Amino acid sequence: MKKLLIRILVLAALLFVMNWVYSKWFYEKDLQEHSDMVNLPRQVVADSCRIVYLGESSNRTYGWAESDQRKISEMVGDYFPSVLCGDMTKNASHAEIYYNMLKLIPKTSSVETVVVTMNLRSFDAGWIYSRLETPLKKQLVLVQDYPPLVNRFLLAFKAYPIRSDAEWDQLALKHRKKESLQFPFESEWNNAYQWDSAMAWRGLMDSQGQRDDAMTELACHYIKAYAFQIHDDNPRIKDFDDIVSLCHERGWNLVFNLMPENVDKANELVGKDLLYLMKTNRDYLVNRYGGLEHVAVADNLNLVRDVNFIDQNWTTEHYYAEGRHFVARQVALALKSFYPSDFFDPQTVNLDEGHYLFSNTTTIDNTFPYSDGLQLSSEALQPDWDRVNVEFKACRKTDSDKMMLVVQWYDGEGNSDANYYRVKESQIPVGKWEFATFSLPVDSVLRSSQYFKIFVYNPSDSPVQVKDLDISFRPAYMKPGVKGEKER
Amino acid sequence: MVFNSIEFVIFLPIVVALFYLLPQRARWLMLLTASCVFYMWFVPKYILILLVTIIIDYSAGILIEKHENEPKKKKTYLVISVVSTLLILFIFKYLGFINDNFVWLCQKLGLDVRTTVNIILPIGLSFHTFQSMSYVIEVYRGHQKAERHFGYYSLYVMFFPQLVTGPIERPGSLLRQLHEHKDFRYENISKGMRLILFGLFIKMVVADHLGAYVDEVYANPSEYNSWSVMLAMAFYSFQIYCDFFGYSTIALGSAKLMGFDISDNFRTPYLAKSIGEFWHRWHISLSTWFRDYVYIPLGGSRVKFGRWAFNILVVFVLSGIWHGAAWTFLFWGFAHGLLHIIEKAMNQRFPSIEPQSKWLSVSLDLLRMAKTFVLVTLFWVMFRATDFANMRDIFAAAVSNFGGGQTLAVKPEVWLYLGLFILSDLLLFNDRFDTWCETKPLVVRWLIYALLIFLVIACSSVNSFPFIYFQF
Repeated sequence: MKKLLIRILVLAALLFVMNWVYSKWFYEKDLQEHSDMVNLPRQVVADSCRIVYLGESSNRTYGWAESDQRKISEMVGDYFPSVLCGDMTKNASHAEIYYNMLKLIPKTSSVETVVVTMNLRSFDAGWIYSRLETPLKKQLVLVQDYPPLVNRFLLAFKAYPIRSDAEWDQLALKHRKKESLQFPFESEWNNAYQWDSAMAWRGLMDSQGQRDDAMTELACHYIKAYAFQIHDDNPRIKDFDDIVSLCHERGWNLVFNLMPENVDKANELVGKDLLYLMKTNRDYLVNRYGGLEHVAVADNLNLVRDVNFIDQNWTTEHYYAEGRHFVARQVALALKSFYPSDFFDPQTVNLDEGHYLFSNTTTIDNTFPYSDGLQLSSEALQPDWDRVNVEFKACRKTDSDKMMLVVQWYDGEGNSDANYYRVKESQIPVGKWEFATFSLPVDSVLRSSQYFKIFVYNPSDSPVQVKDLDISFRPAYMKPGVKGEKER
Repeated sequence: MVFNSIEFVIFLPIVVALFYLLPQRARWLMLLTASCVFYMWFVPKYILILLVTIIIDYSAGILIEKHENEPKKKKTYLVISVVSTLLILFIFKYLGFINDNFVWLCQKLGLDVRTTVNIILPIGLSFHTFQSMSYVIEVYRGHQKAERHFGYYSLYVMFFPQLVTGPIERPGSLLRQLHEHKDFRYENISKGMRLILFGLFIKMVVADHLGAYVDEVYANPSEYNSWSVMLAMAFYSFQIYCDFFGYSTIALGSAKLMGFDISDNFRTPYLAKSIGEFWHRWHISLSTWFRDYVYIPLGGSRVKFGRWAFNILVVFVLSGIWHGAAWTFLFWGFAHGLLHIIEKAMNQRFPSIEPQSKWLSVSLDLLRMAKTFVLVTLFWVMFRATDFANMRDIFAAAVSNFGGGQTLAVKPEVWLYLGLFILSDLLLFNDRFDTWCETKPLVVRWLIYALLIFLVIACSSVNSFPFIYFQF
């Protein structure tokens, strides 16, 4: 027995020394290789940030042609010019990841407030049993609260769920079959699996009465993503509760940013039953966390319209700049209660480009030939609008004749073409502000396009200033007008 | 449950503790329950297949013994048992393969046949069916008394350390030991721990690190230069060895903790001087199984050369097919058999004269070892390739791309791990890690333990590579 005891003691001493050796020479390399998320809190601490925004891809995704490609977290920063805001953005993250990242911020840091993305879809089985869970959970192993050698031991012995893609999918499917849905009204749906199957079987019809497979598939995605009801035993609830406890313990203010979902599309494709579930889930979260001390919930579920969602063929929280601005503003308003004297509303400043901050605009060049993203007109082309009038005021800085008006159309299948109209030097003389007016035909090509863009394009290196771009459509019998004679 | 998982790290000490705490009469039940838990950790429902095999062969054993003096009946029960067991193996392992080939043939003949068979192979099926069959055959031959206790017989088939990838045990050894009373002995714990530690090192530190490079090259052989492809081929030789040897060593260690001795499965196979010797050193439990139940009944070596060659080819082709239901495995087995025959023919035609000089003798042996290693490595390409096209791509890339392509960037520490393993293999020539350690002074022993523990924890690969032989 004594022999055994001595050996156990020697082993313990050896492990102690090994832990020291590992921490000193191996741990950091492993962290960088297998848990690089550790750099996010380190950066926040190094930057002495006071507000930290935690998010997933919704924070950093932008439209390919957008001039304003900033993150939501950066936009939030505009509202608090005197407070340093940082972000910890990691794709596919959810509450458990956020909690672990927050734990890595030392108590002594300058952080005062954390904004945590609350993504409704992350409560669904599809995300809880996502194929990305294996790599995400693997990343957490090395940053646990144990001694580094113990963490490495747990990583070596795979102390995280290792499942194949098929196994994860199977778990999600099982969950959807098992979880029953409760409606206060008559509904034919008992669970998400049955609902999804029925949608796939029945299908959605297009305007010709034919089955629209693409739309049907999208509707099924919406059902899979939102047809669930959050209960206290949802694993995300435990994680969000842990975040609340951690913030209370550290004395941090907390804002939950309930992300906008494409409610328009959900309504259009699936209908009121799904909207009911989305809204009751929202209510559950707002009621659970909204009333807590030092906790605010920015309820943005219904904030962004369909047109501002980048992904039209999938359920995501990726927004165009305008959508991101809306979210940032709501978050800023929630933060205002914690920083009343630091709050500055940039929308009260007169800006050249709508309500955006001047600093947000990008110089127009041949990479981004137009000033903003895909903000579509609210009205479709009417049958009797045969011409389009384009009028703008411009000023050439130097003698350059490359300035053009471009009409570019898109057929909806990724193809586009354009017509170019030269802005003659005689129209816009150098150093003088003058109107340029064009009256262009709306031909069958333009009419059959899904949408088109009209913009002034200057491919030369010589700057041209443009303002008051005005586009109006008119029937053929009306003559081209000048500024102030618009029909619409 | 896999040996290099946190679940097993918790499971094994509990089982060992319970084993010694419980009285002998209750141990079989505990071990059987533990084995069921161990197996059901993978896919629970597949335990039913095991149960069917167990019931068939358990009943067959009793019936064969009961009709000991009626050769015809006895043989009938043996045939029923073997055919039933092989039928299970056929359905789960080979039906899909047969169907795919049938469909291919029909399509070649212009027939529109599109049947599909989609059955997932239960883990370790080939191992436990062979273990079960060996029991029935031994009872038939009168070498083994039929086991009347259903629990003990089930445990013989299901004993968790060797359930999934062997070694394939014989009833004369394991079944006997299961009945024996095992007292707690520090020596068993010590030896068992050593074996487990060494097994974990070669699996987690050597095999899994090499696996990453092998996968990389085998996925896109044409992107790498010939040297890199050849390096990946050599790495695979070590990966598969370390992977399987690692598993077997952990199995030996786990059983040893409870006082059970499981047979060795490897004896430094890459130091073999011929293909024949390689098979005496590689996957020994399978080689001896085929020797005892196929090769010798066919006539063994006490026949004319032609017949012997036929016997060898049958055994090796069966061994290839045993590994996997694919043409690549069949050819792998055939290639080994053919080479073995050629070697023997050459030896008969040109009997080697042992050189007088010791150095010349050693040099010749080294050359023979190198030749065997190179041939085995080339054959492993058939084993590892997903299909013939992949195999062709690998061989083509190995000989035709010396000038261009990427160079496989191997981390320096991986060379160190491989070097350590090769050194250990040389040191353990005809020995085993647990007994080899005993001969070393205490301080050296503990330094080795410390090094291995540190390597397993801090330097193991974090990529999840399942044990290669799990698929068989």
